[in-house]
Amino acid sequence: MERLRTERPHLFVGRAEAPIAFVESVAGGIRLKALDREGVRAGLTVGLTLADARARVPDLDVYPHDSHADHGWLERLADGCHRYTPSVALDAPDGLVLDIAGCVHEFEGERRLAADLEDRLARRGLLVRHAFGDTPDAARALARFAGAPAPDERRAVKRLPVAALGLDDDATTALVRAGLKTVGDVMARPLSGIAARFGAEAATMVRRLSGEVKSPIVPRRSIPKIGVERRFAEPIARTDYALEVLGELAAEAAGTLAERHEGGRRWEARLFRADGLVQRLRVETGTPTRDVALLMRLFRERIDSLADPLDPGFGYDLVRLDVALAERLDASQLKLEGGEAQKGSLQEEGVVQLLDQLGTRLGRTRVRRFGARDSHIPEQAELMLPASDPVPTAPWVPPEKGEPPLRPIYLFDPPQPIESMAAEVPDGPPHRFRWRRTVHDVARAEGPERIAGEWWRREDIPTRDYFRVEDRKGRRFWIFRHGLYSERESPRWYLHGLFA
Amino acid sequence: MSPPARFAELVAATSYSFLHGATQPADMVGHAVTLGLQGIGIADRNTVAGVVRAYDALNRMRLGTLGMMPRDDFRLLVGARLVFADGTPDIVAYPATRLGWGRLTRMLTLGNRRAEKGGCILGLGDLLRHADDLMLIVLSDCSAGPVTPAGDTILPPRRSDPGLAATLAALGPVAPTRVWLGVTMPHAGRDVRRHARLARLAAEAGVPLLATADALYAHPDDRPLHDIVTCIREGVTVHKAGRRLAANAERHLKPADEIARLFAAHPDAVGQSLALIDRIAFTLDDLRYEYPHEPVPAGWDPQSWLEHLVWQSMIDRYDGYVPDKAIALLQEEFALIRERNYAFYFLTVHDIVRFARAQDPPILCQGRGSAANSIVCYVLGITSVNPMWHDLLFSRFVSSKRDEPPDIDVDFEHERREEVMQYIYRRYGRHRAAIAATVIHYRPKSTVREVGKALGLTEDVTQRLTSTVWGSFSTRFDERRFKETGFDPDNPEIARLRDMVDRLLEFPRHLSQHVGGFVLTQGRLDEMVPIHNGAMADRTFIEWDKDDIDALGLMKVDILALGMLTCIRKAFDLMRLHGLGDHQLETIANDEHPAVYDMLCKGDSVGVFQVESRAQINMLPRLRPRKLYDLVVQVAIVRPGPIEGDMVHPYLRRRAGKEAVEYPSPSPEHGPPDELRTLLGATFGVPLFQEQAMKLAIVAADFTPDEANELRKSMATFRKVGGMDNFQAKLLGGMVRRGYEHDFAERCFKQIEGFGSYGFPESHALSFARLVYVSSWIKCFHPAVFGCAILNSQPMGFYAPAQLVRDAVEHGVEVLPIDLNASRWDNILEPSARRRGDLAIRLGFRQIDGFREDWATEMARASPFASIEDLARRAALPQRAMNLLADADAFRSIDKARRDALWDVRRTPPKQLALFAAADAPELGAEPDANLPAMPLSEEVAADYQTTRLSLKGHPMAFLRSHFAAEGILSSAQANATKDGRRAKVAGVVLVRQRPGKGNAIFVTIEDETGVTNGLMWARDFEANRRAVMASRLMVLEGVIQRSEEGVTHLMTARVQDRSDMLRLLSEDHALTPPLARVDEVLRPVLTRSPDPRTRHPRDVRVLPKSRDFH
Repeated sequence: MERLRTERPHLFVGRAEAPIAFVESVAGGIRLKALDREGVRAGLTVGLTLADARARVPDLDVYPHDSHADHGWLERLADGCHRYTPSVALDAPDGLVLDIAGCVHEFEGERRLAADLEDRLARRGLLVRHAFGDTPDAARALARFAGAPAPDERRAVKRLPVAALGLDDDATTALVRAGLKTVGDVMARPLSGIAARFGAEAATMVRRLSGEVKSPIVPRRSIPKIGVERRFAEPIARTDYALEVLGELAAEAAGTLAERHEGGRRWEARLFRADGLVQRLRVETGTPTRDVALLMRLFRERIDSLADPLDPGFGYDLVRLDVALAERLDASQLKLEGGEAQKGSLQEEGVVQLLDQLGTRLGRTRVRRFGARDSHIPEQAELMLPASDPVPTAPWVPPEKGEPPLRPIYLFDPPQPIESMAAEVPDGPPHRFRWRRTVHDVARAEGPERIAGEWWRREDIPTRDYFRVEDRKGRRFWIFRHGLYSERESPRWYLHGLFA
Repeated sequence: MSPPARFAELVAATSYSFLHGATQPADMVGHAVTLGLQGIGIADRNTVAGVVRAYDALNRMRLGTLGMMPRDDFRLLVGARLVFADGTPDIVAYPATRLGWGRLTRMLTLGNRRAEKGGCILGLGDLLRHADDLMLIVLSDCSAGPVTPAGDTILPPRRSDPGLAATLAALGPVAPTRVWLGVTMPHAGRDVRRHARLARLAAEAGVPLLATADALYAHPDDRPLHDIVTCIREGVTVHKAGRRLAANAERHLKPADEIARLFAAHPDAVGQSLALIDRIAFTLDDLRYEYPHEPVPAGWDPQSWLEHLVWQSMIDRYDGYVPDKAIALLQEEFALIRERNYAFYFLTVHDIVRFARAQDPPILCQGRGSAANSIVCYVLGITSVNPMWHDLLFSRFVSSKRDEPPDIDVDFEHERREEVMQYIYRRYGRHRAAIAATVIHYRPKSTVREVGKALGLTEDVTQRLTSTVWGSFSTRFDERRFKETGFDPDNPEIARLRDMVDRLLEFPRHLSQHVGGFVLTQGRLDEMVPIHNGAMADRTFIEWDKDDIDALGLMKVDILALGMLTCIRKAFDLMRLHGLGDHQLETIANDEHPAVYDMLCKGDSVGVFQVESRAQINMLPRLRPRKLYDLVVQVAIVRPGPIEGDMVHPYLRRRAGKEAVEYPSPSPEHGPPDELRTLLGATFGVPLFQEQAMKLAIVAADFTPDEANELRKSMATFRKVGGMDNFQAKLLGGMVRRGYEHDFAERCFKQIEGFGSYGFPESHALSFARLVYVSSWIKCFHPAVFGCAILNSQPMGFYAPAQLVRDAVEHGVEVLPIDLNASRWDNILEPSARRRGDLAIRLGFRQIDGFREDWATEMARASPFASIEDLARRAALPQRAMNLLADADAFRSIDKARRDALWDVRRTPPKQLALFAAADAPELGAEPDANLPAMPLSEEVAADYQTTRLSLKGHPMAFLRSHFAAEGILSSAQANATKDGRRAKVAGVVLVRQRPGKGNAIFVTIEDETGVTNGLMWARDFEANRRAVMASRLMVLEGVIQRSEEGVTHLMTARVQDRSDMLRLLSEDHALTPPLARVDEVLRPVLTRSPDPRTRHPRDVRVLPKSRDFH
């Protein structure tokens, strides 16, 4: 929830302190997955169906549970904990295990360290329960299950409920039913009996908690991005040479990508100057690529379009290239004469390269293309999209074979009012109309194409009757009457487009 | 001036085109009539499910009850729009003759059987093979959506090109002069050109054009609703639906002159609609019905065979002496049966009942319903209600004026009904027997959810809205409901939602199969009505529901399942087994033993059929039944009809002689002064039964039986039809004209209205009353047998096993715990150790949640067992079974307490290793004693509840008594002894929560170790206590004790505290959830599908007060 509060603060502005629940759709309905303190206080429990919960607490606020985002959040918290120790493990979904052996000197003792951590997280609104233990298992069990304080760790562990053993539900219930309610109760009995009933893991778990068996934590590792770099003994002062090095790096990175069947889409070059300044160059491509020549062309475009030209100053001593975003790109056939064959038609590939080039020069969002939208309303039936966005649009309506187009290429926005003369009631075209002070005599007309308003936007949107008309000089217009005669007393006419 | 245009719309879809049409059939016909069309053709997508509604509506309009009168030559065509899976353009087919109808329904059946439930897969080839006597209108394109084929059906190949010309060419030879090409005016921009092309095509194929609006709804204003159903169908929001919606609102019914104007270029196309109509001779009246002939032996005609059977059985029934009155009655009924040709019907029912009785062991069954009150049924043993004993005023089983088929429902033991159904399939064949459909309608909750989704509202909003719907039966989504949730009803989005929901409510959603209504025919059933695949394997159902069947006058036999019959049969078996005599339903039902009534008068009726609900238990001491007819009244009176019509109190007062019984008379010239006395005499002048209400309209207000029937139907559906005002005026007018006072007439109308559809027919109450008596009799004289039988018949009735066991214990029955050596799967009776000659109930393994019958069978085979290992080895039980037994504390007889048993069971491997088996040696070595701590009693109880939902060791409340006593909280016994008007606090575990009738009172019954307390809370107090009432398993009720003069005590509750956490004190490890009664409405909201009880699930009829759930 604190994730939500941080990421989407607008949800919490000015809202009363109603209980909050996170829900998850599972088979058989929507169930509560997590609750805030208010919710717990109102007597709700995790696992309740949303309908039941609402029946009890009608003002419950509900958000969808997003375990993926929660995990990401936990990862970020774990990153933050690297300030204490390099060895941090996740205890999903809501725990972290820190190996602080040898790390406490900076904080003058482990308690200080814990207090610091609690403070930091409290500032973000997180409530932390922590415990120290000789083994990660003991610490985890104590943090999650410990009740009253105990004089020492051994006794604290013994007082833990058997649930702290982390066995499956069935085994836990069985132990409890047998009257063995604390870890101590279990420890007091011969381990062979436990193992015979609950498996060897159960006995191992008991030993771990009692510290007889050590289990090191498995620190998490971040997924390595592709990053290649070249250090120079002497700073190099020429930009051209730096770019040459960048090209070599790109080829190296492309090799790595090819091994992984991937292609890069977002590339970042960093030129570290000897005096400490860093110059960044970012390029993106519309499709994943490993094409070094293409990349270098894009980098050069980028450099050309920089407001301040690259200034090597005292020279660069480090060049680094990172692939920030990579997507799947399968190997393609090699051409006989060498080099990778282009997939798709040359023309298409050429358009993609042009787009990349234009996008790099003009800005990604400024190169656009048309997309179809699924709508009856003509002016809403297409829209402009950034050319590089792979947003799928609705399929274009295929023109009917042997029929003239129903709609013109050119649309006026907004439609131009016209003065119609002698239109047939109720659904005929005008015989004559005036547009821009010119009177057009309608020689031929076809229609109406009737398009009703989108009632769900507003109730009183009038229906349009479109006509394709041709005047005596052969010019073709697309005109419409805004409103049926039954809807409007004297509906107005507009010219919406011109046929070629 | 040219003569006014004449036109009939022949392509009209209705709501039965499920999510394709947006107007109900009746409204479609109504609008066509209003527009002055010459006729209308109802053609839904691959179905004829809606045509009977249209037909019925037209008939009712002709009767003048719906406020509009169709022109005399108005024609209704019934057919279907064939939507093909192979890309063939849609074709509308209308049968010209009865033969054509049979072809159409057979073709649809074929398509239905190919598809998964709800689909229909047809190809053009099917039509070519079934085209005899069908008039076909070919439309210009195919509107098929995806269908799921059933099993290994292969979908016909989809044609890439609609192939209009090819279709016409293919139809030419098989249906010469019976094909039209439909043209529409969609206002799509190139209509003129399209028309020209179609005209050319038609000319080439030599078929005429036919103008149509291809209507999907009646009125242009219905477009938004149609868009919404389209969105629901496509699973998109209206904002994203785009071109999946129609561009405009043109597909509505249009008047003839408008059509003539639109098709001015093709005037013949307009006229062809009338030409087609003229070719059609078929109407639904032609579905003359023939009952199956099976039960009649060769050489007999049905009537004489029936009479022969009756005369034969007569001697047995009347012990050789047949009273003259019976003979007279019989003659009268025979005449009626002959006149209406019902002999086959009676013979069919008799045949089914005879089959059930002839089984070994026989299946108990009992008939009910209006026809079941006939002496013919009694003599044939279909029912056991002797019309001679009960002077049934309304026993005329069919009014000769009313053209309605007789109605007999037969209840069978619920565990064995399947045998009867299979017999019917065997005897009549699947092509002649099928179950009726139930139309599942849109109910408020689902409607709000689906419409909300289509309008793009988030689930959150719709959840909040639906959370306030009380019960799914309400037919309107009140403005109040919206306000309650804090939404502004004027907000356009909300207003739109409300409007749409209101319009979509009562739309059919899909067809499902009825629980047990069988339709049987002599000829092929699939030539009468299309048949669908049911959800259950091997079940098929027809696509008409009970109302449709009624409207067409088809025969239906209801084969229903009744839990109490199972219970009674099991009780009879137990009594036979334990030497308590050989009993029959009949012998017991007639003995009228005062001890049985004494028991009922005390309200001691837990487990008894029908009268075991809280409301009934409260009524028993007030009504004080002393004879069978009192039970009939008892069964019928605690129903919403009499309660809301305020008939209960007058009845009780008059019965107790506290109020004079008076019968207003009509003016002498209009009728005998005692006409109401004859009618209402048995119920002291208060109409309690549905028949009385209808008869009242006939007798006092001069309704014809048809009108009375209309009245009944309108009562069920008055929201839709809105014809109630007509009836009110007619009834009041009729009564006043006949000399009754206006006041009295007004009151009568109120009562009839209050009755609505919730009145209970006497004919059913009579049959039920007998079962009430029989079950009471067993409970009264053999409580152990009764307890054992009812436990073995679960799930049924109102109460959970815990409450039934407790009731048995309170009646002095010893109940013994589950034990591995003594128990069987079923609960059994064994000699009581406590008192010689008594029987004790030994709980069976079926009481253990999750235990399986085959495990129990294995155990019975190998028992007795000496040890846990012995059990595991010889009964070959899986680990889970062993765990369950240990959890249920079933090892006491081998001296293992629950914890020790559990501990040992976990170590015991389920199968013995071959080596040890060969050596016949114990596999497990000795092990040091684990010295498990002993289990405290409170925890034992909690564990019992967890595994078997009941405990014989104690009541959970007993362990908490000291806590509550310290707080000054009373026990139930103390509360029930408290003086009237005193304040009291009572604690107990929740037994049942109900919110009957109009919902202004909430009943909460709680239980402790001393008994039960009945809490009653007014709705105004409920909101503040909502959470506690709904979430508690253990609650404290605070309020004032109120004691009625009959000695019924209620706690008028003002405050409820949730003390469920106290249950944890019993055991921190066993989550103790005291079982609720089966009818608890918070746990199991009452899902009443339709306000008309005749279309409701027959088992729902016994849920006495109409209730609203708590969501």
